[in-house]
Amino acid sequence: MTGDDLQALASRALEEIAGAVDLDQLELVRRRYMARHGGLITSVAAELGGLSGPARALLGREFNSAKGTVVDALAERQVTLEEERAGGGLADEWLDLSHPVHHLERGHQHPVARTIREIEDIFTRLGYTSVAGPEIEDDLHNFELLNMPPEHPARDAHDTFYLSGAAVGWLYRTHTSPMQMRTMLAGAPPFRIIVPGKVARRDNPDPTHNPVFHQVEGLCVDQGVTVGDLKGTLEHVARELFGAERGVRLRSSYFPYTEPSLEADVACGICNGIGCRSCHGKGWIEILGSGMVHPAVLRNAGVDPDRYSGFAFGMGPDRIAALRYSLRDVRDLYENDMRLLECF
Amino acid sequence: MRVSHEWLASMVELSGVAPKEVAHRLTMTGTEVEKVADFATGLEQVIVGQVVGLQRMMHSDHLFLAEVKAGPDDPMEVVCGAPNLFVGALVPWARPGTTLPSGLELGRRRIRGVESHGMLCAPDELGLGSDHTGILLLSPDDAALGQPLSAVFPQDVVYELEVLSNRADCLSHWGVARELAACIGRPLQSPDTSPVPREGQPLGGLVQVEIQDTRLCSIYLAEGFVGLPKDPAPLWIRRRLLAVGQRSVGAVVDLANYVMLEMGQPLHTFDLEQISGQGGVTSVVVRQALDGERLQGLDGVERRLDTGMLVISANGKATAIAGVMGAMDSAVTANTSSILVESANFAWTSIRSTSRRLGLRSEASSRFERPLSPHLVPAGSARFTRLMKETVGVSPLPAPCVAGGLPRSAPPIRISSDRISGLLGMTVTADRAAEILESLEFSVGRDGNALSVTPPSARTDVSLPIDIVEEVGRIAGYDTISSTLPPLRQPPPRVESGPPLRLVADIAIGAGFNECVTLSLVDSVMRPPVPGMAGLLESLQIGNPLSTALGALRTGTLPGLLGACQLNQARGRERIRLFEQGRGFWPATAGDRPLEPDLIGFVDLSVEDDAEESAGRLQKVLALCQALGDRLSLQDTTFRAGECQGFHPTRCALVVSGGLVRGVVGEVDRRSTAALQLRGRVVAAELRADGWLTPGGRLIATVELARTPPLVLDLAVKVPVRAELGAALQAIRALEVAELEEVRVVDEYRGAQLGEGLKGWTLRLVFHDPNRTLTNRQGDLLRGRIAEALRDSTGAVIR
Ligand SMILES: [Zn+2]
Repeated sequence: MTGDDLQALASRALEEIAGAVDLDQLELVRRRYMARHGGLITSVAAELGGLSGPARALLGREFNSAKGTVVDALAERQVTLEEERAGGGLADEWLDLSHPVHHLERGHQHPVARTIREIEDIFTRLGYTSVAGPEIEDDLHNFELLNMPPEHPARDAHDTFYLSGAAVGWLYRTHTSPMQMRTMLAGAPPFRIIVPGKVARRDNPDPTHNPVFHQVEGLCVDQGVTVGDLKGTLEHVARELFGAERGVRLRSSYFPYTEPSLEADVACGICNGIGCRSCHGKGWIEILGSGMVHPAVLRNAGVDPDRYSGFAFGMGPDRIAALRYSLRDVRDLYENDMRLLECF
Repeated sequence: MRVSHEWLASMVELSGVAPKEVAHRLTMTGTEVEKVADFATGLEQVIVGQVVGLQRMMHSDHLFLAEVKAGPDDPMEVVCGAPNLFVGALVPWARPGTTLPSGLELGRRRIRGVESHGMLCAPDELGLGSDHTGILLLSPDDAALGQPLSAVFPQDVVYELEVLSNRADCLSHWGVARELAACIGRPLQSPDTSPVPREGQPLGGLVQVEIQDTRLCSIYLAEGFVGLPKDPAPLWIRRRLLAVGQRSVGAVVDLANYVMLEMGQPLHTFDLEQISGQGGVTSVVVRQALDGERLQGLDGVERRLDTGMLVISANGKATAIAGVMGAMDSAVTANTSSILVESANFAWTSIRSTSRRLGLRSEASSRFERPLSPHLVPAGSARFTRLMKETVGVSPLPAPCVAGGLPRSAPPIRISSDRISGLLGMTVTADRAAEILESLEFSVGRDGNALSVTPPSARTDVSLPIDIVEEVGRIAGYDTISSTLPPLRQPPPRVESGPPLRLVADIAIGAGFNECVTLSLVDSVMRPPVPGMAGLLESLQIGNPLSTALGALRTGTLPGLLGACQLNQARGRERIRLFEQGRGFWPATAGDRPLEPDLIGFVDLSVEDDAEESAGRLQKVLALCQALGDRLSLQDTTFRAGECQGFHPTRCALVVSGGLVRGVVGEVDRRSTAALQLRGRVVAAELRADGWLTPGGRLIATVELARTPPLVLDLAVKVPVRAELGAALQAIRALEVAELEEVRVVDEYRGAQLGEGLKGWTLRLVFHDPNRTLTNRQGDLLRGRIAEALRDSTGAVIR
């Protein structure tokens, strides 16, 4: 067979494909030309075996081209005939977008839990481990070991709930910092932990205070940890939480368990540092307290302050959630109104 | 605390430093400026007038008609209600057309038939404090007729500061000026405390001072002054006091307040005649109060004292609560002609507890309750003495009384600039460190990189090397330190402790439940109808609750979740699915740490009261508990019928795993639903995660993927309707049939043909042997063993 013969055969096949009026006729055409054994086109392959050199290469190319054309034509005609058989080209089957979209019955995350997860993820990427500590504490871990002996003026800001009856002597932790002490006492440096959890202070509820709220404590202790490291860490966290374009500043503060102590502010989301009504004219919103772990605290924890240094911080996920999601009242976070939860 | 810009500027040059800059610098270095407010603004149009005629108005018992003039023109009539006017008085006069600082615009007004030309102003109407008891009276020494009032009260700016609790020194203009001087790099001009000549009879011959316990009062210094004039303190003193919100009440008290606000040392002034006895020497003693001793304070309130409080007694009678408030009967009045001025240092813990217990806080106690420097005692006294001489012309008596003394000075603090640099994370040369410290009035000795540092006496917060690091860091500015991250020298450890919060939340949220967070505090009186896992355990009580509504620790999650159901139902929700993960608080034996189980609560409420519908929801909650157990527990999880407080007696199951009860699932009973004011039926569950669920979850053991065909056989049995599938499956598992790959219920049916009280299960058994194709005969034998186990465990009969 020559190349011309093959082309003629292919054209005849294409004519017959176009002429097939139903799927049965099309199947007959397919068999005639393309059956694995004895198809008019497929059997040319056997002839190729007898040729050699350039003739074989030439006919081989012609064969592949003719076969490809016929296969494509068969498939296309088949789709057309199937659609015809289904009646009106599948016109009765369509995605009805006039229906309301059904609700997937999924639940929703709580905004505070979501914020804590994000904070955990940020710190996990920095090599921190999230640990949980007891919510009921003793004076020793909540205050004394953290450089706050009885009568210390800084205890004023930690108005404490004390338990009574059989549990007298115990208190509800006023911050997550006792877990700093418990972690250090139980191990050896380096330490890199965060501690999310509930804390309580005897503050009357108002739009910015709830007697029970959450904190995320952080602690990093190693050789040569600096204020610059604290600064870099906090700036990174603030930008992760509030966006890279948001201003962050660190200013001097005081906590008995850290020195130097620093407070971190982010620029007000409304006025960006200029001062407006929503930030009470300050331009900045306080998001966390921090500092270098006080040498006395390290010593209390059995860590040599001449060999190791570190930083600690405490942030309020309730407040961060309120800021990020524009909630006016932190108490709303504890109402669990489903209209709020379903936003998350 | 409020500080005046003008007052600060008397100690540190502030030209070219805008108030905004002052506020920023103070805030960044630790003294946060909460508010910056203008003082004495908009007074240009108000002029100084003189009352030249005054008469009561007809038909009024409180209005006066004043004739006021401000220059050579004829006087004009102004109606005024203030009681303190007199002919000749110089007063601020807002004439028609004037706009007051409040924005009020004045015109001519007819009052009771008389035309009134503007108004005479009280201090508050001029924005000069809150006093509204009378018209502001000006002295001819300070104000001239026709002058704008802005010349008498120049504009000032007042900063409202939030002083850190360790910085007692910043409760004064002096302390704040010291900070500011260091921030802007200009010298500090401290207030003049140089001695003045003394005159008259030695005070030591009139008064003797004794301290009973020097631990409670380390030093007590008393100065005497006699022959006091009646004149007020000079205008510049009163103006500064007014600017920071302190009312002027007479020269002596004004000067004492002035010294407190300037130096930070509270002074107390006694009327010397009132505390002196009938001749002889007055004995002033600093001692503990007697139990039941009474004292009527300056505020007129009589208080009962006890031995925990410190008093100043004169001739045996308590005449001041030390550091908190003086007595009414020894207070300085307009008639006082001689005074004793106390400058002392009291133990801050004592003042603090006294002030707390009496519920009495004064300007003095708010300073004494922090560690004030005893060195302020002589300084404050000297400043007062000097101002008395300079402003009212009275010299102190010779031989002031002193009891106690100043502490020995502490040795210098030693630190190297390398240590400072190492902790801050930036290079600070010894020169730079010394420069910063000296700008804060620290004295610095140098030996190469080693510094030996002595803080100014007012800085009671600085005693350790780390304190020096902070001083250098905050004044250099944290914004000048480059941001770095601590190198991670060791990979973080894997922690498998703690509850699997995330996995539980993901599974529960996937199942349609909304995550909640509720308070740990609950009502201390009401018992929750559905306590959950805690059962009838008593809740732990708060000893000092805010209210009974928040007076106890919760024992579980269900009361809070059911409360959230109530809220959502009241807001119109018909189907409410919630869950919470958190601690419960359970009592331990006395003295031991209370238990804090990690609990997971679920509630599913539907407003429909339909038993079949709620049975379906109950099955789904069971499935959820099963899924949590299967995914997160090391052991198998099954259910068995049980009872639990607040649950439907026959629709309640206990979750059992590893031989222990790990949770409860059921429908809340009608009585509880009613008690909770809920409509419809509530399905609830509470699981205790600690000791059961772990973040790692089940140890994964892959099965051998047998290539031989499985043998699938069904086993149809009749069982009592209340048979428990959990028990049946456990019995089958106990047989340890190696070939049994899977067993599950594929059909469940009831019908009359089965007989009363019976139901049918069709169990599908999948057998597989990786090494051979099982024959039907082998399968029948295995099925027979399983049927026997079912019969023994649940009374099953093959059908
Ligand atoms: Zn703003």
